Amino acid sequence: MENHIVLEPEVLGYLGILPVTNTLLVSWMVMVILILVSIITTWKIKVIPSGLQNFFEYIIEVGYTTVEELAHKRAKVFFPIVMTFFLYILFGNLLGLFPGFATITYKSEPLLRSINSDLNMTLGLALTSAVATHGFALYYLGLVEYLKKWFTLNPIFLFVGILELVGEVTKIVSLSFRLFGNIFAGEVVLATVASIFAFIIPLPFYFLEIIVGFVQAAVFMMLTLVFMVLLSEKHAEQH
Amino acid sequence: MDILSQFGVQPVLLAAQVVNFLILLFILKRFLYKPVLKVLDERRKRVEESLKNAEEIEKKLLETEEAKNKILEKASLDVQKMLDETKKEIEVMKEEGKVQSEQMAAQIIKKGQEEARAAVEKMEQELMSKLGDIVALGMEKVTGKVLKTSDQKEIIEKTVRGMS
Repeated sequence: MENHIVLEPEVLGYLGILPVTNTLLVSWMVMVILILVSIITTWKIKVIPSGLQNFFEYIIEVGYTTVEELAHKRAKVFFPIVMTFFLYILFGNLLGLFPGFATITYKSEPLLRSINSDLNMTLGLALTSAVATHGFALYYLGLVEYLKKWFTLNPIFLFVGILELVGEVTKIVSLSFRLFGNIFAGEVVLATVASIFAFIIPLPFYFLEIIVGFVQAAVFMMLTLVFMVLLSEKHAEQH
Repeated sequence: MDILSQFGVQPVLLAAQVVNFLILLFILKRFLYKPVLKVLDERRKRVEESLKNAEEIEKKLLETEEAKNKILEKASLDVQKMLDETKKEIEVMKEEGKVQSEQMAAQIIKKGQEEARAAVEKMEQELMSKLGDIVALGMEKVTGKVLKTSDQKEIIEKTVRGMS
């Protein structure tokens, strides 16, 4: 088995103009899993919880209190988006660790590949996050206040504003590349270690990847949340 | 944008991911967050309510206990009072009985005395008239004449005086 590092996702086929890559396929799998699990969880939701409901209640309660601590009264609006980021990335990362990923091939291409080892996916998420963040800022502040965040008549602050605009672009880049880099590196490490000796030795790395997968999901969620909260707050009068 | 194409970034794929996310967001919001948050809220409310209820019940219990104690105290006081009164009454009755019986005894004694005196007087009278007759008879025999009633009387009286 040759160990090659490919940055691009492999295209399995075309659906109209949409190239179905292996990462896109896995992202659909993750979606289906998440949707099924959530429907099963809340199919017969009870006040006295049990099983899956307990688990999701715990996750959602922890997530909600975290969002509430930062966003206060806007928690209800921010929570679904932020939580979906978390669950989507977490499930994607963990699913990417399952056996069969990168080993099952289809037309001599790996059929499955961890979602976030494809920059398309992470960049898509980062763009969504950025658009949502700015959308909320516009909605909560109004156009004038929103523009005041970037442009002022004071030349020094005008410069600062421009810097901050650049910073907004950097946020997208950092969000997408952080996630992509971590997961992609994890994949490479796992493949490399497995190619050295496939038994026992990769185990610690798998543990590490589980932690990384969780941490990256949490980081993406927290950063998005913080950006949303910061940007939708009124501009402080004195800088 | 050369770097982006190196990473295989394609606008269609980006859009696909965004769409994926939006679909997921919509469905999870509808099927996971809303019901779970609702249940969490419901449970919190219920717990609050039951805590409040428990507090109320405890308060009521305390109140009942107090009322019970009060009633018991009052009852025991009443009983004590009744006992005291009864004792007093018994004593009063005893005293009254004593007085009454003393009175009755005194009456009986008095009556007995009166009766005895009356009987003695009667006997005295009878005795006197009988003695008078006897004396008159004796004088007749001694003097041989029938005394006049005035004499008779005088003599009788003298004799009687001498006798007694």
